[in-house]
Amino acid sequence: MTGSQIFSQFLSGVSRGMILFFISSGLTLIFGVMNILNFAHASFWLVGAYFTWTFWKIFYSPAFGLWISIPLAALTMAGIGWIIEVILIRRVYERSLPEQLLLTYALVLVIGDVIKLTWGVEDRIVTRPKGMDGFINIFGAPFPTYYIFVIGLGGFVAWGLWWLLHKTKFGRTVRASVFSREMVGALGIPVHRIYAGVFALSLFIAGLAGGVQAPISSITLGMDMSIIVECFAVVVIGGFGSLPGALVGSLIVGLVYAFAILIIPKMALVLIFVVTAIVLIVRPWGLFGTPMRA
Amino acid sequence: MLKLVVFRSYGWLILAVAASIVLPMVVGVFWVHVLTEILIMGLFATSFNLLFGYMGQLSFGQAAYYGIGAYTTALMITKASIPLPICMITSILLAGICALIFGYFCVRLIGIYFAILTMAFGQLVFYIIFQWYGFTGGDNGIQGIPVPLLLQDPYVYYYFTLAVVIAALIVMWFIINSPFGYTMRAIRDNSNRTRFIGINIRQYMLINFVISGMFAGLAGSLWAPFNRSIAPDLANWGHSGIPVFMAVIGGPLGFFGPLVGSVVYTFLSAFVTGFTEYWPIIIGIIIILIVLFLPGGILGTLQQKTQPAEINNSKKETG
Repeated sequence: MTGSQIFSQFLSGVSRGMILFFISSGLTLIFGVMNILNFAHASFWLVGAYFTWTFWKIFYSPAFGLWISIPLAALTMAGIGWIIEVILIRRVYERSLPEQLLLTYALVLVIGDVIKLTWGVEDRIVTRPKGMDGFINIFGAPFPTYYIFVIGLGGFVAWGLWWLLHKTKFGRTVRASVFSREMVGALGIPVHRIYAGVFALSLFIAGLAGGVQAPISSITLGMDMSIIVECFAVVVIGGFGSLPGALVGSLIVGLVYAFAILIIPKMALVLIFVVTAIVLIVRPWGLFGTPMRA
Repeated sequence: MLKLVVFRSYGWLILAVAASIVLPMVVGVFWVHVLTEILIMGLFATSFNLLFGYMGQLSFGQAAYYGIGAYTTALMITKASIPLPICMITSILLAGICALIFGYFCVRLIGIYFAILTMAFGQLVFYIIFQWYGFTGGDNGIQGIPVPLLLQDPYVYYYFTLAVVIAALIVMWFIINSPFGYTMRAIRDNSNRTRFIGINIRQYMLINFVISGMFAGLAGSLWAPFNRSIAPDLANWGHSGIPVFMAVIGGPLGFFGPLVGSVVYTFLSAFVTGFTEYWPIIIGIIIILIVLFLPGGILGTLQQKTQPAEINNSKKETG
């Protein structure tokens, strides 16, 4: 393997990691703030991808279509997120962990069929926008231009989330309500609205990720089922509820996968779960989590 | 009076056993298949409930042991034509060994970490089965599993399954109502206090994990010759969700809850898939409604409704 091959494999690992980060950042945010593990998060991601396809068909334009569709899909998902939080998630904050898991797991099934009913069973394809459909040479190895955009957007989202949580009033309130929900409520801040906002924000990012994913591979039913377990791996490795953890975990999972698929293709996915199991056994709270916040 | 009490507590049970013996004689072959499925999935769900209902930990990787059982039996029959009873015993043992290895790590964790670690190990098993084309057939699965001549008739296979499942349930019933079973409940209700009275809770949890895995393996080994074809999806995490559903529908706190759940789930599934392919959305909505409005499951809610009457009755009897 030459140096340039290694480098291009490294970049494709990073771009895969970025998609994982988009989804797992929302997953970890919901868990960190509301203490709910959202099984359905990748399903929302898939819905975002389908919405992107729909908008992309409506605004059919090779140059701009995608740039309009992605934000629209993300906004739609944010709206759906707000509604789902109010109708369903809000009712189970006080419930036991298995009940919360079951509710979101049942959502996976419902969303899967809603997708089937709305968009049918055929694969949907979105082409890469003009100017991003080619390859660029990086140290002599061709690399898809679009992946550069994915990596850039991933970095931007990571920075944006950090900024939102640490530099804005909304973010400070969110962090305060992680610390003490009652206290924040006692100060007259409508905590339920903050929670709905966090859920909507997480789904916004999931929608964004779905939009970004759409031109990478064809959109297929059942994609959510396989990626959600990888996102769990990410969140476990990085630590539940930790955003830097989600970023590092995504990169680890993305890179492990990218290199394992070159060396031992059959064991690539197995390897990810071996890593996850080892992290859980040695350090259950992950690389960035705080011990035993169960 | 005593007879009445016995009938009141075991009447439903006697009725259920009688129904399970008589029903196949009056319904068609299709429903005999459904009944067999109810039994096998009921066993699977009850094995899961040893962890969920009695140990208080949610396993999301129970399908791994079920899959190991199904694959062991299927591979032994198709590749070496080994008699079914030996296949079943081997399936139970192999599932138990895997549960011992995985469980050794899983019982160190609780709550969400337990759920995810069991799931990670489950996915490990799934991807190994999925990728190992040379041995397991990969995503093609195994088709045309030969069934012993004696059991080829679906009615006979039903009664065979019924006998095995009832035997397994009786064993589990004794385990649950032994001192060991009560120790599990103590660990579920307060693990710290249980530790303080000198009980090695990890060891107890591990034993329970292995028992649960073995019964899941038995359920899997019943499934392979029944369905005559298996696929790696039997070990995937989606399949681990089914016993969770069944336990929640029926109610995880009673021994028969998962069985009731299996009856409801499997019957509904057979009924609904008869006229629409959109079964997941229906079961999904049912689960959401049960989580929101019937937190104790069907049996739990029924018990709550009938409990005051029963307490009054027992007072009268003792007085």
